[in-house]
Parts: sequence; C-alpha cells; structure tokens
Amino acid sequence: MGYIELNVLNNQSSLAMGIDLGTTNSLAAVWRDGRPVILHPEGKSGSVPSVVHFPADGSQPKVGREGRDHAAAAPERTLFSVKRLMGRPAADVQGELARIPFPTSEGDDGVLRLNIDGREFTPQELSALILNRVHDHGCRALNDEKPDRVVITVPAYFDDAQRQATRDAARFAGLDVLRIVNEPTAACLAYGLDQEKSGNVVVYDFGGGTFDVSVLSIADGVFKVLSTAGDTHLGGDDFDAALVGLIVEGLAGELSEEELKDPGFLTAARLSAERCKHALSKDPQAELHMVLAARGVTFHRTVTRAEFEALIEPLIERTIDSCRRALSDAGLAPDEVNEVVMVGGSTRVPAVNAAVESFFGRIPHTELNPDEVVALGAAVQAHILIGGSRDMLLLDVIPLSLGLETVGGAVSKLVMRNSTIPCSVTEGFTTYADNQTGIDFHVVQGEREMVSDCRTLAKFQLKGIPPMPAGMARVAVRFHVDADGLLTVSAREESTGASTRVEVEPMSGLSDEEVERMLLSSVEHAEEDFAVRRAADLITEIGTMRTATERSLDGVREHLDRETLEDIEEALKAAEEATSADAERLQALRDELERATLPLAALLMDDVAKAALSGKRLEDV
Amino acid sequence: MASCPHCGAELETPLGCGACLSPLEVETSVDPFALFGLTPSFSIDGEELRTRHLKYSRWIHPDYFAADPELRALAEINTGLLNGALESLEEPLRRADHLLKVRGGPSESEVKDMPQAFLMEVLEWSEVLDEARAAEAGTPPREAAFKLKPSLDEERTARIQTITGLLEPLPESGSEALTTARRELNAVRYLDRALRELESLRLAEAEAR
Repeated sequence: MGYIELNVLNNQSSLAMGIDLGTTNSLAAVWRDGRPVILHPEGKSGSVPSVVHFPADGSQPKVGREGRDHAAAAPERTLFSVKRLMGRPAADVQGELARIPFPTSEGDDGVLRLNIDGREFTPQELSALILNRVHDHGCRALNDEKPDRVVITVPAYFDDAQRQATRDAARFAGLDVLRIVNEPTAACLAYGLDQEKSGNVVVYDFGGGTFDVSVLSIADGVFKVLSTAGDTHLGGDDFDAALVGLIVEGLAGELSEEELKDPGFLTAARLSAERCKHALSKDPQAELHMVLAARGVTFHRTVTRAEFEALIEPLIERTIDSCRRALSDAGLAPDEVNEVVMVGGSTRVPAVNAAVESFFGRIPHTELNPDEVVALGAAVQAHILIGGSRDMLLLDVIPLSLGLETVGGAVSKLVMRNSTIPCSVTEGFTTYADNQTGIDFHVVQGEREMVSDCRTLAKFQLKGIPPMPAGMARVAVRFHVDADGLLTVSAREESTGASTRVEVEPMSGLSDEEVERMLLSSVEHAEEDFAVRRAADLITEIGTMRTATERSLDGVREHLDRETLEDIEEALKAAEEATSADAERLQALRDELERATLPLAALLMDDVAKAALSGKRLEDV
Repeated sequence: MASCPHCGAELETPLGCGACLSPLEVETSVDPFALFGLTPSFSIDGEELRTRHLKYSRWIHPDYFAADPELRALAEINTGLLNGALESLEEPLRRADHLLKVRGGPSESEVKDMPQAFLMEVLEWSEVLDEARAAEAGTPPREAAFKLKPSLDEERTARIQTITGLLEPLPESGSEALTTARRELNAVRYLDRALRELESLRLAEAEAR
C-alpha cells in the first residue's frame, strides 16, 4: 500500500501553474526560486494568442501563434476572442456573433454552439483548446514537468455563468482547477510582493475584451478587495472596432453591404486596425492599410492620434464611470487612494493612461509588464494554494448581488455585491396558501430591483412540505458562494422533523452530465479523428506503392516466377479498392501488398547492384 | 470558553483554532456574534470586528487547506459563515435587523404604520428626486435634490441614535421597544433608498461632465 501512495506522490508535480486566460492572449506562470516567473520556452515569447484556426482540409485545429499565422490568409476559418462568448446566451452576444465566421445556434441548455464543419463546439470547448495550448507551452519551459493543478484568472466582473463556463473549459482541458481568481486581484498580488505595502490600491485592468476596476485595502499581507466594478464587454477589441468603422466607411462605395458584413472581411479589417492601433501608441500618426487581393480592393488612410482618441473617448469615459462606482462602493474619495496599478494591454494607449492619471490625481504604476502581471499574480495564488506560503492572503468579493424572486417580480437580495467570499447566508421563507406543499424559487444575479432586469441563474421547486396553514411552514434558503465566486443554493423545510433538501447548481450553462457526456464524446472524437487521419495516410501510401510496383514490374517481369507474379497482381488488384475503406482494412491491404512485392524488391535491389557493378547507368536498369 | 478538540487551546471562535490553525465542525445556526466571540449587542467596535475578521480568516481560510479535500470543505463552510456573519454585523442597519429577528421582534413587512408626518416628508423628497431624475445634469432640479443630502444624513444619524437607545441594552423578547425599533428601522430604509438615489444621481452628474 505504502508503495502505491508513494507512487501517487511522485506523479504529482510539486508545482501549480497560474494561467491568465485572456481575450486576445493567454499566458502561464509558476512560482520558482521565491518569485513568480512567466513560462516561456527557450527563445520564445510566453504569450499564446487566444486564437483557434480550423484548417479547410479538416485536419486538427491550429491554436495560438500558429492559429494566428493562418488568420490573415483564412480569416473565414479563424476564431478570435472566444472569451467574449463564455457563459453568455446568444441573445446577449448578437454583436459578437456577427464576426463569428461559422454558423451558430443555441442549445436547450442556453449554451451557444458553433457549427464548424458539421461538428458542434461550445465556447467552453474552444477555450479548452486554448487552455491546453498555453498549458503545453508552459510545460515545455518546465522541461516537460506537467503541473495539472492550475489557477485560472477571470475578469472580476464575470458573473456566475461566465465563471462556471471557465471552470468547465478547464475540465475539458483535463486541468485540475485549484481556484478561479479575479484578474485585477491577481495583478495586485503580483504588485504587492516587492514592497511591504499597506493602504488603498486601485487596480485598473483594461484588457482585450474586458474592463475591470477593483479597490483593495492591503494590511499585514492580507489583500482585501473592498469593491469591484467593470464591463465584461469593453476592451481593446472595441478600439479596433472603432478603426474598422473607418475602413467600412471608406470602402462603402466599392464593396456591397453584404461584403462589408462578411466575417472574413471583418476579421481581416480587424487585424489591420490592430496594427494601426499599436503604432498609434508610439507615433503621433499611423497608417490604416488593408488589401483585399481577391476583390482587387485596397484601403489606405492615415490616422492621427488625435483622431483615434476622439473615436475612443466615449469608451475610456465608460471605464472612468466604473472607477467612480467602485470608489463609491468602497466608500473612498479619489484622493484616499494610495496607489493605482495599470494592468492589461489597453493601458498602453496613452489616452487611457492620461484619463486614469487625471481622475485619480496620481501617476499610475506601470513598472510590471501589463500583459504579464495577471499571470504572475495567478502563480502567486497557486503557490499559496499548494501550501507554499501563509504570509499572504487574498480576500476577494462577489461582483454582483444574488437574490430570490419575491411577490410581484421583485428581487429580495440575499448576498450583496462586494461581499467577501466564500459567503453563506440563510434566509427564512414561508408558504402563502393553506396546505401549500411546494415553493418555487427563482435565483437571480444583478443589481436591479426587478427580476426581469436581472440574470436568471436557476429555478427550482422545494417539494414535500407537509400540509399546514399558510405562513406556518418555515423554509430556510441557504446561499453559499464559494471561493471561486460560484453559487450553490439549498432549501430546507424546518417546522417539522422531516426536512427536505434540494441542492441546486446554477442552470445557465452546461450541467455536470453534459460536461461528462461532452468529455466522453471529445475523447471518442479524438479517436475518430485519429482513425480518419490514419486512413488518409494509408491511402496515400498504398497509392505510392502501387505506382512504384506497376512501373518496376514491366521491366523485370521475365525475371519473376509465375507464382510471385500472380501474387503481386492479386495484391495490386485488391489495393485498387483502397479508396474508402476503414483504417484496419487499409492496413491489411497495405501489408499484403508489401508482402507480395518483397521478391520484386529483392530482385530490384539485386538488379541495381548488378547494374552498378557492370558500370551501367542506373536509369538503364 | 470551549477548547480545541485537537490541541486543547482555548477557543476565541467556534469556527477554528488559532493555536493549531485548524477549522472546526460548527453548527450552521450559530449566532453571528458568537462566531466573532462577541456577546450580542447593538453597539459594537467596528474596528475590532474587522480586526477579528482578518485574524480568523488567516486561521481558517480555504486557501490554506487546498491540499486536503475534507479540511478544505470545512474551511470553505466556516469561512462562508464568518463572511456571512460579517455581512450581518458590520453595517448598523443590518445588525439591528438581525437583533430584532433573534429577539422575536416584528419583521419589516409586519410594521406598516409609519407616522403621518414622516410619510409627508417621504412624499416631499420623492417629488424632488422624481423631478431631478427627469431633469438634465447641472439644472436647478438636480441642485435642489443635492441640497436634500445634509438633512437626510442628519435625520439618518438621529434615527440610528434612537435605535441605539431602544436596543441598548437589548430589550426582552416581545417588548414594545422591538416594534418601535422596527418602525425606526423602516424609516431608515426609506432614508437609505433616497440616499442611494442621490448617490446614483451624483454619479450620473459626474458622468455627464
């Protein structure tokens, strides 16, 4: 027994990886030699583009840098910013869907499906491909040590369904999620390492697809989040979209309305816009340039920084509005903030930096690479979680209130936004009719007063309440938000000895059974994919063998005995059917052909040897 | 005071032991005050409450028990209870609400008879706030609304003081003071709704600028 236990221990990596699963780029880090380090294979960047490309020949999807390399040539088969689709019903992401180059639909479970070459993918599965890629990328930097325990970051403002979707993606990727951590909180952890800081810190996290602002108070190694606010649909992608608008406007005369809406065209335009945006962070003006070779159309225009800033000003203003709300929730004035930390690629835009500096009246910190700081913080948290340190503690909050529907469609809030998690709250309810034996519960998330303005998380019924007069039943409803920010609800009737208990997992998303089923089917698919590839390889190989055999046979026919000749011709005839058989049958055909042609090969070898010895040119043999 | 079943040290909170740093099995129905090692009382030292919250978090937070699924689950439950208790106690209004509930006082919806004078007052603010909401930023109706804030704040403080007087010392179950306190509490809820409205108007005003 002891031997087996030892083995288990040996198999588990002593490391845990922190992964920043970003909208545009993803990154992994680990704790090594007393500090967090970004994982990058020798001579390569650690950053993995969050891009998935599906080759037209149906072969394995290309993920990361490789996927991105194919994007320009085949935008119509490439997916960007999958994170924006995570945990969202189709109705909430119509704008996003317009740029998705594949047909989409919504399952009965409310989860989006992308139909790619006849196979359905959920955003969770696509994210899993990216997670696998970034995990592999990181493992290569660890000499192939494979830490399967990971901490994954999400935007602080992600709701329950979006967090759940992220956790499911990790399950599809075969990773063991130690914790889901909020991105700005992770960033603060990375910044707080060097100095013995204490005071109030604002983390302004403007990434590719999401914006978050968190206010933290730091004292004695405890990082306590006071409040968080944000927008899960606001990011650098929107800056690109503003520039894409210029291209669309400029090409309106040359391309049809339909062509201008084509996802392939939009992706190509987006890539041009992104290049221009990056240049504008350094230079006062830049070129917005795009060539559509297939249509013989070229777009070219110079964009000044002032022009760009005017376009994105309303977007920046929305981030400042969130800062105001976060401060108001934390009960702080801008001048009570001791430090401001900048995180995310969009903070490289000078206008963003200027707006933040002017709102808080202080120069924000930009010492750490804004693209790396979240992954570094995730590695710190991973280190704490595997028992590496008790010096620090992160106390995070839930970004949006949780409640139940009450009379008239109003919301009764049980857990308020910005409550420290994990958090348990119990509230008492009762029956409103005589002999009522069941109560319906409708769990929602959001700040609005009415259920219709909030996001439905779950609906369930507590049954088995013993018949009694109205108002006599005592039903305790318990909300538990775990350390990942995920909610579990249970209800129990307490007035009689017999209590009923219902456990509810939020339903907006994949159920556990669905995840299991999809995990299984992806394994089956992987086998299927492998078989298809193997068959294709065999068909090619048999084809080459046939051609070679037929060509050589003519020259040496007279040197072969009749039996061998018949044997070869039989095998050749059989191989002709090698166009659509399954891999097993193909393998048999190939092996048979190889066996039958062995004497021929020997003869040829011999002939070649003879020719060489007699000074003949090989071609004459 | 109870002692730790593992190491025998005296316990400050039933949630866990500060000496051997382990979470302990606890009934989920334990009173929030007891979880913080405090005796139920309306007047509490907020700083002390927050200090204890951080201290206990460092003892029993699930982050420190990730390697052991059983301990982790217990730490998760206990920290959930600790944080839930902080939510009920930190803010005076919720603390009062909690005390009224455990003392068997009437619930929010059971006390509907607000004094006529107070209701007239509420109507007046509502009118001012309605007009401000309909008006543009920087206009006189908005200014008029913001002028309400000092008097609302003042009234809130006064009513919290009244509640303190009623709940300090804690009244007996079923006493009239509980009903009076609930009425005051309901009045503060009206005030808070107006103050929240003012805060969102202030944010909207800043956004417009």
